[in-house]
Amino acid sequence: MILLYGLFTGILFGFLLQKGRVIRYDKQLGALRLMDMTIVKFMLSHILVAMAGVYLLNDLGLVKLVFKPTILGGVILGGVIFGIGWGFLGYCPGTSVAALAEGRWDALWGILGMLLGGAVYAEAFPLMAETVLTWGNYGYITIPKMLGINHWLIIPVFIIGGLALFKWFEKKGL
Amino acid sequence: MRTIEDKGWSPYLAGALSGLVTIFSALIAGHFLGASTSFVRVAGMIEKIVDPEKVKGMQYFVKFVPQVDWQVMFIIGIFIGSLIASTTSKTFRFNGVPDMWETRFGKSAVKRGLAAFIGGIIAMFGARLADG
Repeated sequence: MILLYGLFTGILFGFLLQKGRVIRYDKQLGALRLMDMTIVKFMLSHILVAMAGVYLLNDLGLVKLVFKPTILGGVILGGVIFGIGWGFLGYCPGTSVAALAEGRWDALWGILGMLLGGAVYAEAFPLMAETVLTWGNYGYITIPKMLGINHWLIIPVFIIGGLALFKWFEKKGL
Repeated sequence: MRTIEDKGWSPYLAGALSGLVTIFSALIAGHFLGASTSFVRVAGMIEKIVDPEKVKGMQYFVKFVPQVDWQVMFIIGIFIGSLIASTTSKTFRFNGVPDMWETRFGKSAVKRGLAAFIGGIIAMFGARLADG
């Protein structure tokens, strides 16, 4: 049953990715080159809606938030490495399969590369666990916890900030 | 950037609706959306065919067992969902060299494929290191 939920959720998400036109190389590189903010609009809209909804359900006791530890070594170094690879590939792990499904078959080489990359990381993991993943481990932190205030004071700030950014994008025609 | 055949939805609308997908997925299935772990699981499933003993002993494949789970099905779903959207809106196009790439690096599909392959290796290594 849980596998069917995964499939159905993916179908909805893939449909919206394609409709939002965010899976194209030109859109992804457009964002990296600060020329076209389409994917940032999509991602940030997603985050703002999901942030408010998931926290609300969490407060009602209907969902349980899943946290990942904040390890600066892994996040910063991993982020930089991912960014370099993303610049070459022009697709994300999730969007690559969606891009393939709208006929962009260069994504297939990226998918094969990412499978190999996953295998390479599995080999490197013991080394990473002893080095990079021990640097700056702050554990399970969140912004509200760090500031010691209720998350409903933080969420509106993010929403207002996001909407202001959208307004600026539209004004600049990005 | 927008041409006549480039019909779609506002990225704000599509993004916000996909945010609702996350909310309902968390509520109904208890799963949040993610993609890169599946590349590790599938890579492990392929490696298992070649050398199952080696995979069994690897720390990362103990942590992420190489089998089909919620997220692998989610990735398959993304392919189907995008295929439905692209074929019903007639925006499906066979294309192996993106426009922006062609303008800068030329028509060679081999060159593009090589960059995509190498980029994929690097991107996935970084994504897993950042645990994203």
